[in-house]
Amino acid sequence: MVELELTVNEKTYKLEIEPDERLIDVLRRRLGFTGTKEGCGEGECGACTVILDGRTVNSCLVLGVQAHGRKIITIEGVGDRRRPHPVQRAFVEEGAVQCGYCTPGMVLSAKALLDKNSDPSPQEIGVAMSGNLCRCTGYDKILRAVQRAAREVSGK
Amino acid sequence: MTSVIGSRAVREDAWGKVFGQAKYPADVNLPGQIYGVVLRSPHPHARIRRLDVRKARELTGVAAVLTASDVPHNSHGVLFRDQPVLVSERIRMVGDPLVAVAAESPETAREAARLVEIEYELLPALFNPEEAMRPGAPALHPEVHGESNVLYHLPVVKGDLAKGWASADVVVEQDYSTQMVDHAFLQPEAVLAQVDERGHLVVQAATQYPHYDRGEIAHALGIKVSRVQVKTLSVGGSFGGREDISLQLVAALLAYRTLRPVKMENSREESFYSHCKRHPMTMHYKTGATREGKLVAMEARIVGDAGAYASWSPNILRKAAIHATGPYEIPNLRVDSYAVFTNNPWTGAMRGFGAAQPVLAYESQMELLAKKLKISPVEIRLRNMFRTGSTTATGQALTGSVGLEECLQKVAPFLWKEGDRE
Repeated sequence: MVELELTVNEKTYKLEIEPDERLIDVLRRRLGFTGTKEGCGEGECGACTVILDGRTVNSCLVLGVQAHGRKIITIEGVGDRRRPHPVQRAFVEEGAVQCGYCTPGMVLSAKALLDKNSDPSPQEIGVAMSGNLCRCTGYDKILRAVQRAAREVSGK
Repeated sequence: MTSVIGSRAVREDAWGKVFGQAKYPADVNLPGQIYGVVLRSPHPHARIRRLDVRKARELTGVAAVLTASDVPHNSHGVLFRDQPVLVSERIRMVGDPLVAVAAESPETAREAARLVEIEYELLPALFNPEEAMRPGAPALHPEVHGESNVLYHLPVVKGDLAKGWASADVVVEQDYSTQMVDHAFLQPEAVLAQVDERGHLVVQAATQYPHYDRGEIAHALGIKVSRVQVKTLSVGGSFGGREDISLQLVAALLAYRTLRPVKMENSREESFYSHCKRHPMTMHYKTGATREGKLVAMEARIVGDAGAYASWSPNILRKAAIHATGPYEIPNLRVDSYAVFTNNPWTGAMRGFGAAQPVLAYESQMELLAKKLKISPVEIRLRNMFRTGSTTATGQALTGSVGLEECLQKVAPFLWKEGDRE
């Protein structure tokens, strides 16, 4: 076992983990952040996306120890029913949510994009969302939702 | 009066999903739960000569190692109970479940599964439905389905074929085939099963068919249906792939035997092995039309690969037969649709349910006929399509609204350019 200290959604946790434990297992199993989903376990689907020091990562491909001393945002740290993030509101209003399993990862990828670039082009949105697979929607409504959220964030 | 048409409706569960609050079965846990895994066959067709689970049982942290003899009624299936919960003797496909293991951690359960010793007698496998349906091919289900591997045959006959062919000025004859497809729903199967304070078996899963799961669990375990509760949590996509029961049966069995809550989660790879696939179909089509571009005759032979177990195959090949003409009126026809057992992964429900595959064949036939007749692909469809008052191949009179012509006129400019005849 090794010691790990990390910040998740602005709260700092100290815990002991196995050296070969994946970040997704630390988040889901040890800390209970089950909004982070596992779809493939090999970095293809993006359902396990979290934001690590401002950048999106597949938490199934990151070791827990690699998050030592770093800041993580999971879906539980983004918005709530009283104050949803513009991306979350846009996903609901555009009908971009079906089975919902890809949704937390999609929302985090879109949020990470808009945090850095509040006025992205359709191409930039496409690139930012390209690591997240959805089997239900056909992507069109998801891309429209991100554009709608961008308009709200940029005030355009 | 308010109308839903034209109004915007928000999905009931969308908010819970955008906040990551929606609970899928992998997200629920119980104190004291153990973890289940299934050991599956690496061979498509084999007999189990020897199965030794002693080493697996002796591993520290293992709560149960169960085999076919631990299943009171070892069969399940949506139409026919031809699929074992755990194989007792004859393996019919890669991925057939052989042994169920539960342990204090998922890692220990997987390690125990590796300690199971199995000796196989490998049998020649049938991978091609055409070979499997020939007389003399080894029968894959003599106990449930008899000596033939042809699970289902539906002939559809209409009009007078000889007359139809005699009036045809052009004929196109062609073979088509589609491939096996996995649903690849994003959420791999997971389940949490427990025996609760009432002594009832409570199974939480992502399923398309909870009432059927309930009956199958009660049947396999030999307990009353009223003592089984199946709760459907959020379902992370299914597209037909969660109609057959999956891990629910094994988790229920392990929970019932150990009296501990049992959690199971498939990896993506295990998910591919543990649910049905879309039927690959081979389709031989012969279609005839007059010089004016009117369809007058069609013969089609459709063979669907059912894989190792029946699942919904008869219903799916029935649907393929009913849709074999596409949305076109053909007065004289014969369709023969078959579902055939092989040692391939079993096939079942997937979006379209058998209606999707023949599209390739009948629409390609229309394109080829249009080319032969030197008329536009839109024109040949307009001359033959279903309209109000049309009668389908199976004799169904379409008396309600048929919006096909209006639809085609609207989309045609996007599909074909003006003067596009070749």
